[in-house]
Amino acid sequence: MNSIAFIATAAVAVLILPFVGSEYAISFGVQLLMFTALAYSWNLIGGYAGYTHFGQVAFFGFGAYVGALCMGAGWHWLPAAVAAALGGLVLALPLGFAMLRLKGPFFAIGMFGMARVFENFALGFDGITDGGTGLYLSPVSDMRQIYAAFAVLALGLLVATWRLDNSRLGLQLLAIREDETAAEALGVRTSRLKIGVFAASAIAPAAAGSLYATYLAFIDPATAFAPMTELTTISMVLLGGLGTVFGPLVGVVTMSVINELLWSRFPEIYLMLVGCVILLAIVFMPRGLAGMARRRSLLFPVGREGLRRLVARRSPPGMRTEAALG
Amino acid sequence: MPVLELLVGGVLLGGLYALMACGLNLIFGVMRVVNFAHGEFMAVGALATVSLVGGMHLPFVAALVIVPLLTAALGLLFQLVILRRLVDGPMIMSLLATFAFSTILVNLSILIWGGGYRGLPDVLGGSVQMLGVNVSLSRLVAFAGAMAVSLGVWWFLTATRFGRAIRSVAQAPELATISGISIERMRTFTFALGSAMAGLAGVLLAPAFASDPQLGSRFLIKAFAVIIVGGMGSYPGAMMAAILLGIVEVFGSYVVGPVIGSALLFLIMLAVLLVRPRGLLGVGMRV
Repeated sequence: MNSIAFIATAAVAVLILPFVGSEYAISFGVQLLMFTALAYSWNLIGGYAGYTHFGQVAFFGFGAYVGALCMGAGWHWLPAAVAAALGGLVLALPLGFAMLRLKGPFFAIGMFGMARVFENFALGFDGITDGGTGLYLSPVSDMRQIYAAFAVLALGLLVATWRLDNSRLGLQLLAIREDETAAEALGVRTSRLKIGVFAASAIAPAAAGSLYATYLAFIDPATAFAPMTELTTISMVLLGGLGTVFGPLVGVVTMSVINELLWSRFPEIYLMLVGCVILLAIVFMPRGLAGMARRRSLLFPVGREGLRRLVARRSPPGMRTEAALG
Repeated sequence: MPVLELLVGGVLLGGLYALMACGLNLIFGVMRVVNFAHGEFMAVGALATVSLVGGMHLPFVAALVIVPLLTAALGLLFQLVILRRLVDGPMIMSLLATFAFSTILVNLSILIWGGGYRGLPDVLGGSVQMLGVNVSLSRLVAFAGAMAVSLGVWWFLTATRFGRAIRSVAQAPELATISGISIERMRTFTFALGSAMAGLAGVLLAPAFASDPQLGSRFLIKAFAVIIVGGMGSYPGAMMAAILLGIVEVFGSYVVGPVIGSALLFLIMLAVLLVRPRGLLGVGMRV
């Protein structure tokens, strides 16, 4: 029941903040929750299914533009965000069908390129998007509403991941990550599952993009498709622990606090320092904080611990290198 | 449509893509690392050239020597401190590390050179008549230099003993180790060589185009497109694809405008990824 206590604590903290916190705390909370949603979405495809997805920001930016255009047409921000989420889903299905046939570096480059294609389209079709000038939206009066929407998104993904980790589906995804051919041979419907997870992992980023545009009351291609969003999200998941239930949350909180401290102290070289922090995290904590904590048997509850260990044991170091090459 | 002019422009642009793509390809082949920071090595090279030639009034030839050494040193530092520890781990680690390093370099460049565009309009100015088309001298030199270095590195890889040792690490690492080749040393050398090639591409590009710190990512995705279309790990494939995509980009930009025109490259890349993931001349690497 440790997990439920953990989720409950997080939920209570998130619920209380807007009523006791200052303006600053709320804006920090919005960023935190947005990255929580992004990190958990990325964790589904990158952590569980093991696909190195470098194009999540494509869906984020796409959602931001869908939402901004809907709001420009006079919609309320909430239905606009829902429309963005649906748009992300509809876009991700054919895209996943095409791209998920690629593996390893090819998938990474393909999706990275896809994000840049989207950015170019946002710049190029300036009749609709106003190109590099960006779209201005009428600001929302009460930020707490946006905060609440982000909170629902983040908590929803946290609970979904927790359910997934303890499910047959989650195990099938881990099987794909470890050895896709073997999983297929054992009767896992790998293609269908991969595309499903890819599409599911696109919903929240698209919604988050729309909400973020609402929050900023502005969107332009550089903000919508910022590689920094991608980099931060992935490194948060990695810092916390790939393919774990609470790893992404730990990673998001740790990284957000560090980033916020760096931002307040060294605003001019902030992005450079973030890059350095990420490098340090990759070199010194490749298994993530959750991995370290689990080894010291602290409070990190992980579903199917025994099975995971079995999976880990069955691939000796040499095999791992081979898999990394493929 | 001025077909001949566009064709010449495309081929000249393709030469620079070839040099970029060959370095990227070499690093991928030997280290199995997709170097997201490759474009930034080029941007640093271009901006350093502007400073050396435009600011310190050194001759352009001096920049041709100094700048590649500088970027090679930068690459060496990154390889020895960070990348060396990650290449044998899961691919995501090295990908993320090069991605993070590219962010560091972009922001370092902005800090040093500012965010704006810089150029060298007075170096290699003027134009020459070629095939009845006016070609600017700086672009011609960029093309010739890039092709010469790309072909030179290819010769080095195929004809010299050391070059063959590098290729053996790319093709059969276990056998290379048994034959007494130090994989680690070859990887380090390769990364430095690739970084030097990117830096040189920057030097050659500086007189012909305006450079800014964001230049790297724009060129990098084109170089990615080139090595995917040409086939990852294939040297001649990359050179052919570079020229081909240079032509496509120039024609595309003429017909549908520069922004969508460069998106055409990625669409071709995606089409190739889907239809023939190992590229036109790919070595048949396991996908």
